Amino acid sequence: MDKDTATTTPKLKKVLCIEDEHFISELYARALTKAGYDVDVQLDGQKGLAAAQADTYDIILLDLMIPNITGIEVLRTLRNPAKTPRFHGKIVITTNLEQRDDVRADIERQADGYLVKAEITPRQLVEFLSTLETSVQ
Amino acid sequence: MDFYTKYRNQATLRVAGFVALLIFLTLGTGWALYVSQRVNMMTILALMSFVATLAGALMVPAITRIIEPVKDIWQAVQHISPHGESATAPSADEVHIGKELVSNLINNIYQLASVVEDIEKTNAKQAQDMHVSFVANSLPLPLIVLDDKETIVYVNEVSLKYFGIPADELEGKNVYTAFDMSFVNDKTLTSWLKEARHDSVTANANWERVRIGLPGQKDGKQFDMAAHYNKSNPMGYETLLVLFDHTDIYSQDDQSMSFVALGVHELRTPLTLLRGYIEVFDEELGPSLTPELKGFMQKMDASAQQLSAFVDNILNVAKIEDNQLTLQLHEEKWEDVLMNAINDLSLRASVRGITIKTDIATDLPTVGVDRYSIYEVIANLLDNAIKYSKGTKEIYVSASLNKDGFVETSVKDFGLGIDSSILPHIFDKFYRNHRNRAQIGGTGLGLYLSHAIVQAHSGQISVNSKVDEGSTFTFTLLPYAKLAKDDKSGDTTSITRGAHGWIKNHSLYRD
Repeated sequence: MDKDTATTTPKLKKVLCIEDEHFISELYARALTKAGYDVDVQLDGQKGLAAAQADTYDIILLDLMIPNITGIEVLRTLRNPAKTPRFHGKIVITTNLEQRDDVRADIERQADGYLVKAEITPRQLVEFLSTLETSVQ
Repeated sequence: MDFYTKYRNQATLRVAGFVALLIFLTLGTGWALYVSQRVNMMTILALMSFVATLAGALMVPAITRIIEPVKDIWQAVQHISPHGESATAPSADEVHIGKELVSNLINNIYQLASVVEDIEKTNAKQAQDMHVSFVANSLPLPLIVLDDKETIVYVNEVSLKYFGIPADELEGKNVYTAFDMSFVNDKTLTSWLKEARHDSVTANANWERVRIGLPGQKDGKQFDMAAHYNKSNPMGYETLLVLFDHTDIYSQDDQSMSFVALGVHELRTPLTLLRGYIEVFDEELGPSLTPELKGFMQKMDASAQQLSAFVDNILNVAKIEDNQLTLQLHEEKWEDVLMNAINDLSLRASVRGITIKTDIATDLPTVGVDRYSIYEVIANLLDNAIKYSKGTKEIYVSASLNKDGFVETSVKDFGLGIDSSILPHIFDKFYRNHRNRAQIGGTGLGLYLSHAIVQAHSGQISVNSKVDEGSTFTFTLLPYAKLAKDDKSGDTTSITRGAHGWIKNHSLYRD
């Protein structure tokens, strides 16, 4: 059942998963590591943001309903060059929270992807991340 | 010399002439008799009195002529007085002395009268306007008045407060340019006015949950709206709109929507895990499992997928109910969208031993769809077909261009079928095939949702069914080129729609 994704090395290698549900981050980290990504996990918004600002990640998986700082605030801060000058990576929202359509559209504009976790499996997440590479030279 | 001086001189001259004549005749008569010495003094005095009286009597017509102008002026005043229409109008022709003065005075009187009449009319109109304006501005509700071109001709002060802009930014503008209005169903202001103009002299209508805001404003308020139409209002006030702000009530409903969202979030978290672990087990253990266990694994996966789809249905129905589902129509290759959904559903079909067969025309034009929403339609129709297949092993999905130029997609099963008495209600919310209720699980949300989503795409959904032979659900979609052509918003990359096929008083729906 193993797919090719497990054997190819991704171009966007470093992933930060900001996710408070430990079982979910564990599943995602497992699948991503298997696919050749380096994965760090942070369980709340504040620590997640600090990690994102301190290191250079290629991709950030960002849950919206997380403790301390909401995912939306983290997204805004990461997309603000004045506050996070070093971050130029991709941000993929991974959430189970349903938004009003206009709010969601607003978030989608700032992010590189918006995934509803219940609608994808870890393998589908890996497949999605590999599509992000097509926009990277 | 002015007319009055002329008149005074003429009158004085006449009176003086007559008085001189009187004195002359009287004294002349007395003097002549006295010189003749034929009569005594008493007779002389008597004769002098007689001559004086006679001369005086001769003066009466002359004096009448002098006061003639008074009569004409009196008549003029009588004529212009209230209820004086029956009085005789004066004529200066008969005036002998002071004709110019009289003509002039009469003219002035009539001029003054007409000025007074104008003032009275203006005052009356102003009083009426003040009343209208007083009533309109005392109304504690926004009032918007439109003419027959749907141009705003009046807005009361409350409206201005609500929308926070001055009257001159609203008055004179087309109501659809001035406001973004959206309705929960296809009875919109435009469609109602069209009907009213065609059928009625006066008409009234009510709407609930109309979102009204200034163009580009993110959170328009939510109103109930009452409208009165009057075909030939002399003031040009064809349509009156009164708005009832129920934003608070409806936003409470929105809160309950948040409650649904919260509930859904709680359901989705274990679902995510379930699907994740199933995948891990499938990857790690799949090759070593017995066919039976492998089958169980797939059924578990299919069940998790089904639950996930149901959760999405709940959310989408809640959004439709709250007028919050907006669709972004993009140009898509229909085969790709359709096959994506079919592939996702194939596991659910296969665990029940069902194969989904497809027949998709190769030359289909691209369609304008909201990928996520239209996915729900295909998924729901396939899910129903799977549920109601009753042991039959195939489902057919076909797509082709129909004779009206729509892309037509059908999902056909060979299962239970639907009784003809139930068919008319099949797209109603919570409506289920009674005959099958006991046998098949479901909520009756899927078809309601599918209907709303297809309608919002300007398509049609229909069903053909025969008991024990199966059902065919068919829906149509507009080719993207046609949709973009009909849509006059100028945005060709994405077209915004609401569910129900309702309107963002969208140019698409305007005449």
